[in-house]
Amino acid sequence: MLKINNLYFSYNNQRNLLININLTVNHGDYISIIGSNGSGKSTLIRLILGLLTPDSGTIENTYPTTAYVPQRFNQLNTHFPITVNEVLNCYKKVQKKSLTVKIPDVLKLLHLNGKENTLIGQLSGGQCQKLFIARALLGNPKLLILDEPSNGIDRQSQIEIYGFLRTLNRQDKTTIICVEHNLQAAVKNSTALYHIEKGHGHICLPQQYIKEHLKNDIGENY
Amino acid sequence: MLTYSFMQNAFLISIFIAVLCPVIGIFLVLRRYSMIGDTLSHASLAGIALGMLFQENPVLSAFLAVSVFSVIIEWLRKHFRTYAELILVIILSLSIGIAITLLSSGLVHANIDSLMFGSILTVTRADFYWVLFFSAISLFLVYRFYSALVFIVFDEEGATIAGLDVKLINYLFAILVAATISISIRIVGILVISALIALPIAAALQLEMSFKKTLCYGILFSYIDIFSGIIISYWVNAAPGGIIALNSVLLLLCVLFYKYKIKAKLLQ
Repeated sequence: MLKINNLYFSYNNQRNLLININLTVNHGDYISIIGSNGSGKSTLIRLILGLLTPDSGTIENTYPTTAYVPQRFNQLNTHFPITVNEVLNCYKKVQKKSLTVKIPDVLKLLHLNGKENTLIGQLSGGQCQKLFIARALLGNPKLLILDEPSNGIDRQSQIEIYGFLRTLNRQDKTTIICVEHNLQAAVKNSTALYHIEKGHGHICLPQQYIKEHLKNDIGENY
Repeated sequence: MLTYSFMQNAFLISIFIAVLCPVIGIFLVLRRYSMIGDTLSHASLAGIALGMLFQENPVLSAFLAVSVFSVIIEWLRKHFRTYAELILVIILSLSIGIAITLLSSGLVHANIDSLMFGSILTVTRADFYWVLFFSAISLFLVYRFYSALVFIVFDEEGATIAGLDVKLINYLFAILVAATISISIRIVGILVISALIALPIAAALQLEMSFKKTLCYGILFSYIDIFSGIIISYWVNAAPGGIIALNSVLLLLCVLFYKYKIKAKLLQ
């Protein structure tokens, strides 16, 4: 379980970006964090991951393994001379305990088999996103955190990735927290949405969010 | 040529420098920190001047000074995230200030030319043993932390989340950079050390291969640059540093020509 209590956060002691955040994520949940640009969605997951320290409040993470899939286009140097296999091998070798999940298995799962020796710069946006998901799955995570997984990738890859995440959540009971700008995907996939606005957050069910904000906007493709 | 003991020393030292420079260089280049080699080689001048003042071996004193400066650079990286190149200017000013003050005040007497441009004649057997010592430790540490270093350079945030002590490994790497520079300056010289760190890797990157293959080609290019540089400098009686730098640029141009003219034509 992940429990955030009365969390406040500000950058460099300026005005509070996150105010009194309270969120409980239970085993098997799929929570999409939504909100406008600069509302603090990515900051919240950076706090959960321990990359930032809250001004006050607590974050209690009891999941034995947590993995993170970064926002592809923010993180990646596409000219970096590294192959798919090298990305996964490096991750595997730096883990403190040996991993039971095998590299060929995760590659097959994400339809990346045959791409082992391909440089990351030669992968499409969707394949690259799948590679980062494959890397995260190597650690057999009980909690998977993603930052805008559909950012900058084609529609077909988005459908494949969200289908995969749904299976991971519904069948393998992996808890998922996903920062999402794609509202259609958020509503379609999540068990609950966490909406951050002006620093405050509140949880709502997808149906409730559709009724309040989206009305007839939801497509059927996700 | 090989009957002279100074040439033997130069070749023996070069065997290690040619491996170490690209091994460290690939991580620096991919971090977009190529110019750190230039800054730290100038910082080594301060170390050498201090070593002469206290009558210590210049390789050792350079290593100690460059280690301190590279740890300061790593520490300052947190405070100058947006203007990273400013850190190099700060360290350059401090170290050059110390070196010029000591050398111009008459407290120490050194052959500045051989330090600036590199020299085969001044390399001693003691230097060789120091080089051997630092190279063995540095190469072992890179081998031991290879996956962690690649992971950090590729995705520093991901490495932190994966549980790596990124800060510790970054400081350790800073000391490895110091060791590489302090053992290379005798042959290559202060002014052109960054060429040996960056250019073989710059040439290897053009071949667009995996990390391991890029590193292997970087080492191969580095061997070609250094050994041909030493041999030519012996025959034309010029400082090896300059010839090695010219060779590095020439090799890079050859690789670019191969990539854009020959390889492109073959693929058509």
